[in-house]
Amino acid sequence: MSKPLFIKLLLLVIVFAVVPFALEGLGKGYYYQIATLAFVFMLLAASLHLVTGVAGLLHLGHASLYGVGAYVAALLGSKYGIGFTYGLPLAGIGAAFVAFLVALPTMRLMSIYFAVATLGIGQMLFLVFQNWVDVTNGPNGVMLFDGIDLFGYAINSELGIYYVVAVVAAVSILILNRLSHSYYGNALRSLREDDQCTAAMGINVTVMKIQAFVISAFFAGIAGALWAYTTGYISPNDFNFSQSILILTMVVVGGLGSLPGVLIGALLLILLPEVLRYFGDIRNIIVGLLMFGAILFLPKGLFGEVNALNFARRILGSAWSEDNSEKGIGWK
Amino acid sequence: MFDPYILQQLAIGVSLGMIYALMAIGFTLIFGVLNVVNFAHGEVYTIGAFAGLMAITAFAPPLLVVLFIALAAGAFAGFGLERLAFRPFRRFSDEASLKSRAMREATLMSSLAMSIIAREAMELIFGSQFQSIDLAYLINKPIEIGPITIVNGDLIILAITLIMLGGLQWLLKKSPIGMSIRAVSNNALGAKYCGINTDRTIIFTFIIGSGMGALAGILVGLYYGAIFPAMGFTPGIKAFVAMVMGGLSSIPGAVVSAMILGLAESISTSFMPSVWSDMVAYAFLLATLIFFPQGLFGARRERV
Repeated sequence: MSKPLFIKLLLLVIVFAVVPFALEGLGKGYYYQIATLAFVFMLLAASLHLVTGVAGLLHLGHASLYGVGAYVAALLGSKYGIGFTYGLPLAGIGAAFVAFLVALPTMRLMSIYFAVATLGIGQMLFLVFQNWVDVTNGPNGVMLFDGIDLFGYAINSELGIYYVVAVVAAVSILILNRLSHSYYGNALRSLREDDQCTAAMGINVTVMKIQAFVISAFFAGIAGALWAYTTGYISPNDFNFSQSILILTMVVVGGLGSLPGVLIGALLLILLPEVLRYFGDIRNIIVGLLMFGAILFLPKGLFGEVNALNFARRILGSAWSEDNSEKGIGWK
Repeated sequence: MFDPYILQQLAIGVSLGMIYALMAIGFTLIFGVLNVVNFAHGEVYTIGAFAGLMAITAFAPPLLVVLFIALAAGAFAGFGLERLAFRPFRRFSDEASLKSRAMREATLMSSLAMSIIAREAMELIFGSQFQSIDLAYLINKPIEIGPITIVNGDLIILAITLIMLGGLQWLLKKSPIGMSIRAVSNNALGAKYCGINTDRTIIFTFIIGSGMGALAGILVGLYYGAIFPAMGFTPGIKAFVAMVMGGLSSIPGAVVSAMILGLAESISTSFMPSVWSDMVAYAFLLATLIFFPQGLFGARRERV
């Protein structure tokens, strides 16, 4: 068995057999909550990775797009009776639509101005969640009583919900992985490094940025729907600026531009506060210190981009070397 | 002639604008010399408010002394911030890395990390609720002028801001340190070759900018009677908006934009519920970024 295949199988076994087995063994709802929280944030971090890590756009309002997805799913579910099956993709499409509207005017802005524009938009969406009481129910949040209902089969057990969340998150992360390690991803990386040069090479920079932003928002919306369905209650404070910063921290600590690193970062930042629960309130300070330390001492992150690309090259390279067509694909 | 209600709102708007102007100056000065945004500026504002509050509860000094204590605390916070979050990322001083995006974004995120640490530490120490302030210090005693009622805080804020703005103009135009600040913000490398100590200049810039931010913090705290650890976030964003509107490195532009922002915000409360008034600032931000990328006052700047 080749090594890359072994790694893939190992990950699949861990996610779909070892973790659920351990969770059943521990047998408390609390551990299931942490596991689903970890999946939601891994998906969020992976979607931010496409915009901030690969395309190099510092995005400070990601949590608000996640919030759009969560509100779409929760409102469709509680007011119109549209269940999980259609609510999940609709949440993604809703978030992507908002992101598209947002992207049209802001995508011509450069680094810091883009960051500030996304911060402003994030705050505007947060104000809408909080103050448009007729629709979003304001600071009281939205309750979602329906459980997960997949094509007519109601899934009620904690283990079943875990599997639904894990499958949705794994498939989404797989898609993001293939996007960021493809010619498309390479084009995004090139516009991160030098957008004028990229434009001179004949790549439409603005369209690429809008696409990356919208795709990332779609997956953030999916994560929002998962969050709304697993917790059953959402409120505006789940989607405020500090959540955006938390997601950004995961990406920075893990390594800008490195998908495995970002997933490690997300796991670390979700699990560490739970481990440190006994320290009480200082856990948020630890998040800040971790971010500062990562920028200062590990500027490339826990699992840097170069390592991640080598890793991807080993995995994808074995498939490419088997491809004997004349055209030839991938790295030599 | 005018509706008294509008006049009343105008008076409040002037005070708000003055506060934003005090903060926006700090942003503008720091952006001028370093070409980076200091995301921890809002926390300096909070630190100023808390330093003043601690002075009041500890030994109840006169108001002027409280303001000086806040100013000193802000200056000290600015010094520490520069050392911790900005200095370590200035290891490379050639022109390419001074302008590189990676460097700028590293300092952006390190200042963001510092602001999280400072805010969470303050929440841990003081709790996240509103702090109680000695009522004698609140600057909201009403004064009636003709048909409208203003509070003495409006006058105090106006006077202090005018003094600070005048002092800043003198400092930047006449004093050696001010001239070196202007030189560094014009061309950091050139200033260095002319024998200006850029590190010292940067530290002084942080001290001056953060001192003014902290002063704004204690003034707002006493004006509204609300001091809490997360208070710096919204004014920080609005001051940033004012800086962007003013054209990034222009101090008069930032002050005028801050006044526009304050007035727009207070007038807007007569047309819509006050919870939506924050929306005005964000709308201004987006409109400026999209339609006037050079800033309303067209200062020089790189492409956006």
